[in-house]
Amino acid sequence: MTNIKPVWRGLFLLVVGALIGYGVGLGLDFAVQKTVSYQAPVAGLFSLLFGAIFFFFGLIGYHGVTKGLVFQVLGTLAGALFVTGIRAAMGLGLWGPFLFTEPAWVLGGLVGALSFLAGVGAVTDWWKWALGEPTSDHHHDEPGWEKYFGVSLDHKVIGIQYTVVALLLISVGGLFALIFRTELAASGLQFLTREFKLFDQNGLQMYNSLMSLHGMIMIVSILLGIAGIMNYVVPLLLGAQDMAFPRMNAFSFWIAVPAAVLLLSSIFLGGFDTGWTGYPPLSVRAPVGMQMFFLGVFVAGWSSILGGLNIIATTLRMRAKGMTAFRMPILVWASVATSLISLTATQLIGLAFQLVMFQRLLGMGFFDPDKGGNPVLFQHLFWFYSHPAVYVFVLPGLGVISELLPVFVRKPLFGYKWVAMSSLGIALVGFLVWAHHMFTSGMNEYLRVPFMYSTLLVAVPTGVKFFSWVATLWKGKIRTPVPMLFVLGGIVVFLMGGLSGPPNATVSTDLHLHDTYFIVGHFHDTIFGGFVFPFFAAIYYWFPKASGRRMNEFWGKVHFWLMTPSFFVLTLGMMRIGLLGMRRRIADYDPALGFDLTHLVLTIAGFLIALSVLIFIINFFHSMKNGEKAEGNVWESRSPEWQVPSPMPMHNYEHEFEVVGEPYDYGLAGSRYVKFANEK
Amino acid sequence: MTHTQDKSTAMRQGVLIFVYLGILTVLEYFIAVAFDAVPLLVVVALVKAGLVMYYYMHIYRLSEDDGSDEHSYAYKTGTNRLGLWLFLLSDAFVFGGLMVARINLLGMTRPHLNQLLGLGVTAVLLISSFFMNRAETAIAHGDRKTFMTGTFITMILGLLFVIGVVGLEWQLAKIEEVIANRDVVGAVFYMMTGMHAFHVLTGVILLFTVWNKGRKGLYTAEKHWGVEAAAVYWHFVDVVWIFFYPALYLIGKVL
Repeated sequence: MTNIKPVWRGLFLLVVGALIGYGVGLGLDFAVQKTVSYQAPVAGLFSLLFGAIFFFFGLIGYHGVTKGLVFQVLGTLAGALFVTGIRAAMGLGLWGPFLFTEPAWVLGGLVGALSFLAGVGAVTDWWKWALGEPTSDHHHDEPGWEKYFGVSLDHKVIGIQYTVVALLLISVGGLFALIFRTELAASGLQFLTREFKLFDQNGLQMYNSLMSLHGMIMIVSILLGIAGIMNYVVPLLLGAQDMAFPRMNAFSFWIAVPAAVLLLSSIFLGGFDTGWTGYPPLSVRAPVGMQMFFLGVFVAGWSSILGGLNIIATTLRMRAKGMTAFRMPILVWASVATSLISLTATQLIGLAFQLVMFQRLLGMGFFDPDKGGNPVLFQHLFWFYSHPAVYVFVLPGLGVISELLPVFVRKPLFGYKWVAMSSLGIALVGFLVWAHHMFTSGMNEYLRVPFMYSTLLVAVPTGVKFFSWVATLWKGKIRTPVPMLFVLGGIVVFLMGGLSGPPNATVSTDLHLHDTYFIVGHFHDTIFGGFVFPFFAAIYYWFPKASGRRMNEFWGKVHFWLMTPSFFVLTLGMMRIGLLGMRRRIADYDPALGFDLTHLVLTIAGFLIALSVLIFIINFFHSMKNGEKAEGNVWESRSPEWQVPSPMPMHNYEHEFEVVGEPYDYGLAGSRYVKFANEK
Repeated sequence: MTHTQDKSTAMRQGVLIFVYLGILTVLEYFIAVAFDAVPLLVVVALVKAGLVMYYYMHIYRLSEDDGSDEHSYAYKTGTNRLGLWLFLLSDAFVFGGLMVARINLLGMTRPHLNQLLGLGVTAVLLISSFFMNRAETAIAHGDRKTFMTGTFITMILGLLFVIGVVGLEWQLAKIEEVIANRDVVGAVFYMMTGMHAFHVLTGVILLFTVWNKGRKGLYTAEKHWGVEAAAVYWHFVDVVWIFFYPALYLIGKVL
């Protein structure tokens, strides 16, 4: 009960901070613009930042994340004022529509993000190394919940930090979706109208900003979600004490926090209207918010890159004795495959966005046809990451499915080697398919057919996974606790995503389907099946390992049975109106199209999904303290982490283990996977 | 760490590789002037990059056996080495992307640049790689004095390179009407050289920390991962220039 009081104190200070921030913002705006607008963007941004800082101050005091955020605000101001000073010396305009000018915001945002890392303490040890000072090799966290709000080097703490921030961002992204989904419930503009004014945007602009940010916030939350699962589980599966680079692991997590702040700040600074793809030339003309979006993605990208690097190095160097490549758990294979993509391809979206940033700041004409530039080049660079990125999202999820299925079916995983290789297969083929997003872009036509075939090729390794799952289920002794429900749901939903894929990959049909709600439905199917369902499965499954308690089974089932049918209605409805010609990304549609009823149903389904996730989140936090105790091998798994009592001790396994058999030989008498050093 | 070579052999090897690289660079220049044969230039660049990666960056060390004690310095260094190479692989995608942009936007044309200066800065970077290798080889054999001198010279040459590109070349290019916001030629030129110069500058900062720690006597023949890391990074930046130099100065027709 000790942490109840800090939460209330934090929430009280949140309100105080938000009000103070709003006042400060208005004051600054007035000092510069000589007028006061109560929906002022800058005041909104300050309100958010001050609120967050005060909240964390009330919760944990002035250290960890609180200090990081204070440093971020100060760093942003310092960077912005530095540019403003240079502009003064050059005789350029000092202030922009959002207090500072665009270059000042960009440098300020970057300096702010780096300052956050200095403030939170994620680079302290490296700084000492650079100076040649000694650092402690073994990191020690104080027991209790406060360690989650500051830098910890323990992969389990970092995994939970990732997961909780992912859930937070899923909630924010979901909230954005609910807002614009409500606007779509009927044709005509209801509340996001032209008269609507907030943060210097009218209703239509706000619709665009929310719709665009929904995409990217969800993408970042997925990247953090998979990083959370991989961080927590992979070292345990490998028998390692920690990740290969614990400091870089902490850095990868903490750099995502200022990235999220940057992304969210874009909505205050004029928003942007490009969708999550940020195509020029539209992104060259969008307000300053566009730059904050680019910067946020760029910074979040480093989290993904370095996180991937860490997973690969950990897997290659820190496996338990006897764990040869083909005795590694499937989730490890999937994590390596996903990390190979995030390690390399992420650089290309960073580069593409950087080039647009420079085009906006310095007038460099990369994508400006007037200057000999080529807008289609942006799309190539962008999709070279952003297509493989979907495999980054789903491969760990598919790994979770393969990992959990044998546990609940009590049978060996069918075709282990094929499943292991299929993850790598998807990752590698995934590098060769990007231009299927560009069939209508005006790229050279001879590129269409090769990219069509390479895309259809993805179905082969994915099909291998489905065969394995179905064959594993065949004649199994199926148990259906909540994690298994989500595994089965994930399989079915991902199948729908898979089946609706080839029509988009085939040039002739894609020319019709491109930019319709069919794509939106297909995409949500793949991501829910490949990420959301397995993510929930993984949380329900490993929750007892992390906390020593089980999540409530009844409310877990309510979550599943509410979310799954609603989700089917949502995506099938999306595909239906998409086939009939509903364009994506638009705030309004012609009532004569007859989509009103479907859109209303979709909106209701969307709210039901949100309700189910809310139930999950309450269950999650409630079960941490009050859940049924579960310290043993609750799922009767063969995996090493379940052979020791929960919650996992700080430095993982007290006794090292050796791998002596196949990982998934469930139901085979006398077979064993691991043998601990203290066993006979 | 085990050393199969004695010090003088290792030092001699560094000189030999430097001479090869120098000859290949001159050869490259004359191929461009005399034949304009792009495939040949690509081959020369690949050979140069291969030489640097094998003899200066010691890529083969990735497959060395570091024993099985996960807590030993050798094993941890092996892990660090893998991490660094993965980072470089990732970073290479940035430069690869810039190269793709250059090929897409400029095709078989190139900006009008000062050839002598281009060859000059390339030589400076090449010589700096030689001294970097010399410094690393020296500390691996316990020769602190040569290590400190080598690191210092590398650092100075690195700064000289940045001054040559940003301070001189950018100003001369402006006179030749290669201007960042005028057309895509200028945009590509400044982006490629700027991104590379940024990496050189970070390399110089890394070298400064190495030099500073070396001054305090923190590196020994057995434990000098910091030196190795800075050296591998430095050579990587050189490898990037091995491709960027012909891409900007040698291939295609001058606009």
